[in-house]
Amino acid sequence: MATTTATITLASSDIADNSISISNTATLTKAGSTTGLDQTSGLRRRTFTSMSTVKLIDLDHYQDQTLTEDKAAKVYIKNTGTSTAEHVAVGIQNGAGALEEIGWLYGGDWMFFPYSAVWTSAAHANNQDIDVTPSSTDSVTLEYMIIHE
Amino acid sequence: MATTTATITLASADLLSDSLSLSSTTTLYDAGTTTGLTQYDSGRVKIPGDNNIYVLLDSTAAAVDKGNRVYVVNKNTDETHYVIVSIDEAVLGRLYGGDWMFIPWSQADAAANLEIKAPNEVNTVEYAIFHEGRTFTGA
Repeated sequence: MATTTATITLASSDIADNSISISNTATLTKAGSTTGLDQTSGLRRRTFTSMSTVKLIDLDHYQDQTLTEDKAAKVYIKNTGTSTAEHVAVGIQNGAGALEEIGWLYGGDWMFFPYSAVWTSAAHANNQDIDVTPSSTDSVTLEYMIIHE
Repeated sequence: MATTTATITLASADLLSDSLSLSSTTTLYDAGTTTGLTQYDSGRVKIPGDNNIYVLLDSTAAAVDKGNRVYVVNKNTDETHYVIVSIDEAVLGRLYGGDWMFIPWSQADAAANLEIKAPNEVNTVEYAIFHEGRTFTGA
């Protein structure tokens, strides 16, 4: 079994009268167990130069497409750019075939979230894939990783 | 303007054949600017274990398409306990006891609430949202 930890630190000395410092470490384990997640896509990197919506995480690409289904997978995505004016919108298919926007990653921004997507068909109609849509045609590179069981 | 940073460190000595050590820090800005976010809300709540979907954070007109960031952590310690996090019923995933998440939340429309459901057990959840503003309701 592997031991993988994810630590977050949120800090500000001036967003309020008193400083904020939030820190937490999660050990990434399989659903409902203390056994560590032991599979990963590895860190991937893709560059986009259009404003088209593209599948960043495509469940079809993973062996046995049910590996995230109702489990404890985690996803990390980072916009490696430096632009604070242009962003990449990240969304998830909602299971009814529509894209639900999660949020916008500007240059330098990252996100980390649980991912229990259900694969239903190679047609992607309801697969809960992760899609991204750049806000400009300027080149933008995302790094991403899925850690799963 | 305030300066707020979010740092993630992902580490493992044995997930891969070589060590994984990834760290990234971002400064939380208003959308499309280099002005730091100046507002935040936070809390600690107990989510009933009744399998109903509840609104943890309500989408608000003033925050649509803004630089909002959300942090949520499940403070339960039992590894079998979990909450399901969704946006407008689009499920992101399960936060098991001890798990946390951090996402940008653009609140694309009025229905894009951040929702939470605990199927079986009461789960204690802490959250923080850093944002540019929210629409207040009248008294």
